[in-house]
Amino acid sequence: MSRTTLQNCGRCGLCLSACPVYKVLKEEHASPRARLKLIQAYKNKTLPTSPVLQELVSKCLMCGRCAAMCPSGINHYGKFMEMRREMAAAHGDKIEIRSLVFMLAREYRLRAAAGVARIGRGLLPASFQKKSRLGNIPLDRFPRFPGKPLRETLPEEIPPQGTERGTVVYFTGCATNHLFADTGHASVRVLTAMGYRVRIPEGQTCCALPMLFHGAADQAGNSIQTNIQALGAAEDDPILVDCATCGAALKKEYPLLCDTLHLDSDVVAGIAARVSHITPFVLDHMDELDFPAADTALKVTSHTPCHRKHGFGGEDVVARLLKQTPGVDYRPAPDAEECCGGGGTFFYEYPEISKKMVDKKVASARTTGADIWVTDCPVCRINLAGNLDGESSMRVIHPLELIDMQLGRS
Amino acid sequence: MKENIKQEFMEVVGKDRSLHRTEELSCYAYDAFVAEAMPDLVLFPKTTQEVSAIMKTASRYKVPVTGRGAGTSICGAPVPARHGVVVCFSKMDEIIEVNTRDRYVIVQPGVVNGDLQRALAPFGFFYPPDPGSMEVSTIGGNVAQNAGGLRCLKYGVTADYVLGMKVVLASGKAVRFGSRNVKDVTGYRISELFCGSEGTLGLMTEVTLKVVPLPETTRTLMVTFNHLDDTAKSVSDIIGAGIIPTAMELLDKMTMNAIEDSANLGLPRNAAGSLLIEVDGVKEACDREIEKIIQKVRDNHAADIQVAETKPEQDRLWTARRSAYGVFAKLAPDIVTEDVTVPVSKVPEMIRNIEAIAEKHDLTMGVLAHAGDGNMHPLAPTDRTDKDHWRRVELAFKEIFEAAAALGGTLSGEHGIGIAKAPYLGLVMDKDSIEFMSVIKKAVDPDNLLNPGKFV
Ligand code: SF4
Ligand code: SF4
Repeated sequence: MSRTTLQNCGRCGLCLSACPVYKVLKEEHASPRARLKLIQAYKNKTLPTSPVLQELVSKCLMCGRCAAMCPSGINHYGKFMEMRREMAAAHGDKIEIRSLVFMLAREYRLRAAAGVARIGRGLLPASFQKKSRLGNIPLDRFPRFPGKPLRETLPEEIPPQGTERGTVVYFTGCATNHLFADTGHASVRVLTAMGYRVRIPEGQTCCALPMLFHGAADQAGNSIQTNIQALGAAEDDPILVDCATCGAALKKEYPLLCDTLHLDSDVVAGIAARVSHITPFVLDHMDELDFPAADTALKVTSHTPCHRKHGFGGEDVVARLLKQTPGVDYRPAPDAEECCGGGGTFFYEYPEISKKMVDKKVASARTTGADIWVTDCPVCRINLAGNLDGESSMRVIHPLELIDMQLGRS
Repeated sequence: MKENIKQEFMEVVGKDRSLHRTEELSCYAYDAFVAEAMPDLVLFPKTTQEVSAIMKTASRYKVPVTGRGAGTSICGAPVPARHGVVVCFSKMDEIIEVNTRDRYVIVQPGVVNGDLQRALAPFGFFYPPDPGSMEVSTIGGNVAQNAGGLRCLKYGVTADYVLGMKVVLASGKAVRFGSRNVKDVTGYRISELFCGSEGTLGLMTEVTLKVVPLPETTRTLMVTFNHLDDTAKSVSDIIGAGIIPTAMELLDKMTMNAIEDSANLGLPRNAAGSLLIEVDGVKEACDREIEKIIQKVRDNHAADIQVAETKPEQDRLWTARRSAYGVFAKLAPDIVTEDVTVPVSKVPEMIRNIEAIAEKHDLTMGVLAHAGDGNMHPLAPTDRTDKDHWRRVELAFKEIFEAAAALGGTLSGEHGIGIAKAPYLGLVMDKDSIEFMSVIKKAVDPDNLLNPGKFV
């Protein structure tokens, strides 16, 4: 018996209990086990490629819960990713999704061309704008695009306040750059307050993970090369991401793509080793922050993004961060760790499933009585905020924005 | 299946709840056993009326019908061996009534065991059968397979909790057996016959279950022994002293070493076996029982005793047992496990038999056993694409079945027969007893429409 063969799915079914899509639909053909079975059948050539096959494999949040649960140690993520790439190459993607992917791919070219104002609005393809909803989210609850992308409003290097402790490299990702500039500014303020010099390398671009999910391999290849150039310089400063998906791309996906894209595997491994998520990074350095005394406490609850949980340690760092932040009355929601149904473009492609999931989250966040809901993933944030109804006074922000607020309180 | 017949079936539940495309159908061809068979159609009913209409159509056209819950069976029970229609109950998942005053619940068959536990907990109640698949598997599946679990030693198996049910027969007629009463000797106890019937007698559409109050506390300890016989002696001495623990889990030497190789929990590598024992009940009673258990295992030369004083310690003791399956599953591309059962006093002998059989066929096998009830799980990592290895595994399991039968044991304690063990039925049942099951089957399902191709 060879020890080198990859693990096979034993069909035990345990991963079904972890899968948010299965839990809503209660259909085996929407389960991780079925996806593996279909991929196997396709590989063994017992099932030909088809749009139905593509749909079944893609009705997935890529949340990683199945792999975390699997006793056999199956790498669902890698298998799903590869299959999605192949299926999208064979059958294309929905037109709207394709244009979104195209816009992300073009970002760096547009930036290079400079002078293109309102790039954010350009991110929203025309086909989206015609409808009044984007998937499960009403358009007017979609985040407004700031006039200028974050990186155009900040210098490439920001000096620390007080004694210098070191340098960190900030990989801003598309969402913070184009949608949530506030997160970016807050992160820079918190990091410099800790005594870090913050470098935001020019030339960084979309991490390319969304393109990979949707099979746009060529465009992804270009973006990846660009990022490696921007980040790969021979230094060992930590690279911080505020989006777990970007983090997963730099840490896990790039190393897997070395062969296909002819990347220098040493450089890529070097980058991967330096990547940290900003939330655990700040948690580890909390004692370097000086919070002014607060006499009132903010009521805060949290949502754990799947990609941070399954990509950057299983424990809930946000909960720990909130407990250590002065002036915060942390009110955990019982389902804080459940998936919100955002999942990249899942909320757009499968709005009914996504809606069921997010409504549950909103209802239970409400019962905590919190005024602020923190989550450290831009897609979760769009999805959660987009599904709060107009009446609600609750605000959804990145935990770094909360830390920044508390630092600035007097 | 002819197109017009398919259409007729699909009209019963509507297009949204029917599957007919190959890609989708192939996801209902399997469970956790190796054998697969494609259905022609998958239907997701939501009401008894729909199930009844499906069966009426099936009996009109003589189409085989196989029920399915979450598909976690390990013996091929929900695999549609003769094709036809798979009726998937996963969307029939409503808890109809929780009545803790009269200590029963009424559920639809698709309710997940774990969800039922969560619904009962706020009332201070629980439903004792706890198969390893409980976070996925459905009550319908649990009843059809007469599922067990870790706490069976004290609390019994599924059949001990089924008070009544609504069933759609092969003809499409819906009938009711049993009642909501814990005591009920009105006529044949037919509900119990359905426990373990694996969908061959009818399709359950509603089940009434007995529930019990949650114990005040649980206490856990782990004991290691240098001789296997001492584990069995301890088990019988503990039970003999009037203590019925909820669980008495035995890990053999091979299993403990495999766990140590991967997880480093500090298990003794030279011990012959260890017992994980848990008691529950009123706090003072549990403390007294723990004391008595310690005394009994000491009398039986326990090499090491660890008593958990806190919840995290309790979890730590359980880690070894919980991780065992995963550890073996990761040793090779595939894993096979069985669940032969022998009288409690024969457990050490059976473990030695399994060790000898594994050695004879040059296989790595670990043994987990519910030592309190003699139910054993030999675990064999393997690679199905390696023909020679796979053949040796099959041979070894055949010999394990024979060895269990020779000790007065049985083929399956909790997984069921399905396709997996149908060929071995003759080892533990004589011809006339098997024939009696066929007589019952023929009487209720003369056209053999319900889950055909299985053990009866
Ligand atoms: S948990 Fe792992 S082995 Fe079990 S069905 Fe899922 S993927 Fe397969
Ligand atoms: S990644 Fe998430 S949504 Fe996709 S199959 Fe796994 S558990 Fe389900």
